[in-house]
Amino acid sequence: MENKNVNKNGENEEFDLAQMEEETAQMLRLRYLNRDNAVFERTKGGFVSLKIGDEFYPRVGVYASFPFADPEKYISIREATEKAKEIGIIMDLNADVDAETKKMLKEQMAVRYFTPVIKKINSIKDEYGFAYWDVETSNGRCKFTIRMNSSSVVYLTDTRLLITDLDENRFEIPDFTKLTAKELKKLDLFL
Amino acid sequence: MKERKTAESENKAVRVYGGEKLPKDFERCLKELGFAPQDFIYIIPVDLNEDCEFTTGFVCLGKEKLVSCVAAVMPNEIRYFKGSANINAVSAEAIRDWKTEEFEVDRVNEIKIERTVGGGVLAALTDEGKEDAVVAVFSNRKMGAAIKLEKLYKELKEKGEIPTEQLEEEKSDEYCPKCGTMYPDKERKICPRCMNQKSIFIRVMGYLKPHWKKIVIEFMCYLTTALLNLVWPYLSGTVLYDKVLGKDDAFLGSVGLNAGDYMTALLLIVATMVVTKITIQVVGIIQGVLTATISPVLVRDMKNDVFKAMGRLSISFYNSRQTGSLMTRVLSDADEVMGFFTDGLPYFIINIFTITATAIIMFKMNVTLAIMALVFMPITFFISWCMLPRLWHRFGRRHRARRTLNSRINDNLMGARVVKAFGQEDNEVGRFEKANNRYRDAEMALVAYDNKFYQLYHAAENLAGLLVWLIGAYLILIKKEFSLGLLITFTGYVNQLNGPMDFFSHFIRWFTNCMNAAERMFEIIDAVPEVAECEDPVRIEKLNGDVELRNVTFGYEEHKPVLKNVSFKIKGGEMLGIVGRSGAGKTTIVNLISRLYDPNEGTVLIDGVDVKNLSFDTLRGNVAMVSQESYIFIGSVADNIRYARKDATNEEIIRAAVLASAHDFICKMPDGYDTIIGSTGRMLSGGEKQRISIARAILANPKILILDEATASVDTETETAIQQSINMLIKGRTTISIAHRLSTLRDADRLVVIDDGKVTEEGTHSELLAQKGTYYKLRELQTKALALRD
Repeated sequence: MENKNVNKNGENEEFDLAQMEEETAQMLRLRYLNRDNAVFERTKGGFVSLKIGDEFYPRVGVYASFPFADPEKYISIREATEKAKEIGIIMDLNADVDAETKKMLKEQMAVRYFTPVIKKINSIKDEYGFAYWDVETSNGRCKFTIRMNSSSVVYLTDTRLLITDLDENRFEIPDFTKLTAKELKKLDLFL
Repeated sequence: MKERKTAESENKAVRVYGGEKLPKDFERCLKELGFAPQDFIYIIPVDLNEDCEFTTGFVCLGKEKLVSCVAAVMPNEIRYFKGSANINAVSAEAIRDWKTEEFEVDRVNEIKIERTVGGGVLAALTDEGKEDAVVAVFSNRKMGAAIKLEKLYKELKEKGEIPTEQLEEEKSDEYCPKCGTMYPDKERKICPRCMNQKSIFIRVMGYLKPHWKKIVIEFMCYLTTALLNLVWPYLSGTVLYDKVLGKDDAFLGSVGLNAGDYMTALLLIVATMVVTKITIQVVGIIQGVLTATISPVLVRDMKNDVFKAMGRLSISFYNSRQTGSLMTRVLSDADEVMGFFTDGLPYFIINIFTITATAIIMFKMNVTLAIMALVFMPITFFISWCMLPRLWHRFGRRHRARRTLNSRINDNLMGARVVKAFGQEDNEVGRFEKANNRYRDAEMALVAYDNKFYQLYHAAENLAGLLVWLIGAYLILIKKEFSLGLLITFTGYVNQLNGPMDFFSHFIRWFTNCMNAAERMFEIIDAVPEVAECEDPVRIEKLNGDVELRNVTFGYEEHKPVLKNVSFKIKGGEMLGIVGRSGAGKTTIVNLISRLYDPNEGTVLIDGVDVKNLSFDTLRGNVAMVSQESYIFIGSVADNIRYARKDATNEEIIRAAVLASAHDFICKMPDGYDTIIGSTGRMLSGGEKQRISIARAILANPKILILDEATASVDTETETAIQQSINMLIKGRTTISIAHRLSTLRDADRLVVIDDGKVTEEGTHSELLAQKGTYYKLRELQTKALALRD
């Protein structure tokens, strides 16, 4: 907490409109990060740290701007505080950083956007306002329950579904047209 | 309950979140590390490993150590999430590898949940942040447990120990002991599966009770019709053909006619047939009239009940549901239910009666023919039973397609201004067409399938008819044991079966629809409001107007607090200003004071009494709010101002309007205070609406007045005017005012700055300026920005 060296002396000074406007202006600017100005490193504790010039962040958050549409582009790197202020943005993981950094950041995103992919539908039973799902996912067999309303199953595209359970755990069907006819029939309720 | 107690005493000190049982293998793992479960204060389960694979894991909190143990993934394990039965099954009796990690409580300053999209990461934070480490990863399923651990750790660090009451078990989800279904409502332990359709059925019957006399008469009408319908084939077949046209003198004698007087007999039989038909018609009319008088009354009663229940429910109920679906519930569900009970049910009984009676008559007439006629019935029933689910499916799909279409239209109408402003009419047509096509496809699929039903039934009916004719003719011509009249009578009965058959093809769907609609309605009628008046509430005649928030934590969604441990006090008659950036939780605070929601933790006190114990009369009569979104109901201006106090005189209304600087523009309207406003009436500007709602609050004369951005949508001049009226208004009352424009708050006795759900600064205007914090910054920014513009 104490080691945030950004504007750390701001509190002691008199109020300065110019400085404040500078801060606001900074908020409106995008700072691009790439292999030339930013060094990402794995920490011992399992997080990722970032060094930009003499700025150092012991732990940063990795956010995708388009987690579904374009998960490897426009990666927003943010402070690990509650405000999660943006430090900078990586335009393209494939072009702007080296392979090792890409891997490291993708690991962080895998945790952040953890969404089991539904591979097979064993059964969907709808009863009294809830639907009980039994599915095989990329993470093993799962049995979960969703509320029967329009926000539980959302079309991300014409063929891609996002399913949210009672605890807001998320499951994904990347392309429901690829399911078998039998599975589709079970899913029919939501199509 | 008792079983759990003994289990706890075995485990002595340790408590496990949700009372979960610890797997043997995990205890073994702890033992290998040199621990026993009772070395810890609290243990929470987690469900993911570092690579985000589902597994079993635990985080154990002790006085000196924090230990995380995560088991190796077992590929064939089933993961149960909230709501699926069998949730607490201990699956892991198997022996497996555990990955463990120990943290020193001395070195870890804080345990913090880093929220991810589908769960979170428990992070151990250290000095400098360089040794921050992942303790465990979990999905949203375990979020409650993680929050508990985060809190306990904070307690442990601050006080050196955790008071036992903090370890109290959290209220977990409850499952029906009979079938394992989760109760939709924790508080109301009613299992929807076990509260079966039978009990719903009986409850609906309760609505019919007051009308039982009419219903009995109606039933008699149905019965008469059915009986006469049974006589009809006999008259038009046997009597007409065999007895009269067949010149049966014995028959003539039996009805008291001279032998050979066939013309009279013919006239008589025709007259009887006419009378029968007329009777059927008359009875039908009576029954129709009766239905028309009962049904609307029943529908009205049900709608009233549902609407009443909806009024009683808390704001959160409305937030979690779409207005559209609520409207369907009030409007069409009642019709659906009552349609079935006044129409479907009597027909059901009559049709059963008709089928049985017809079958008996048929068998009496000729067994072979009867079998031929009836053999198809069970077959068709069986086939349609198999086909029904698919038909329902298609109905469901059409229903959903219609809903999508409706919401698309709704979306477009609400956003008409934006659509026009960006010239997107053509694109919108495209979007609409897509949904519309989907609806067409659903409808076509449904009709196509429904047709199959009709084909099946008609084929069966025709086949049965043909067979009867064929065999009947054979019996007449070859065997000579049957007459033409009898055959015509018989086919008459065969046709008689068609009506009931068609009916049964729809009946099951009708019944299910009705039960679903009834269930939806009872769900609302039975719903327990989250914010309810307590039993034996405190009534205070004259409020002093003291308001206090004590350690209030609240979030609209579980586990997502908007307010975090907020405390402040307002003395009666004071004006408190609340400042903070948008989304900081300002409006939430006033929602809690007026008890639209109840805090998750902590208390809101008015005059030292917890608002939960105050009667709604006292609360609503003394707390009034003017909010950023002012709602105008359909009605006259006067009615709208009078909304909170129906007995207010016209003079009082004008006085309130003058105080709210609304008198002027109201008088200028063509019909003055009688002008009809609201969704159908005259258009009002945002500022005008705002002023009418201020007048409404002034007239309500509350002891505690809440102004939530009340002057945000009026111009500066009007604001100054309203400001003056507010200055008069706030005398003698407690006022809580939220504003972005700090000038609005210049008269506040005290100010509170809210940031990210916490009170960050508190004091008088000059105290806050002296602190040179956020308030100072905001004020400087507003004054300097204004100055620059000049």
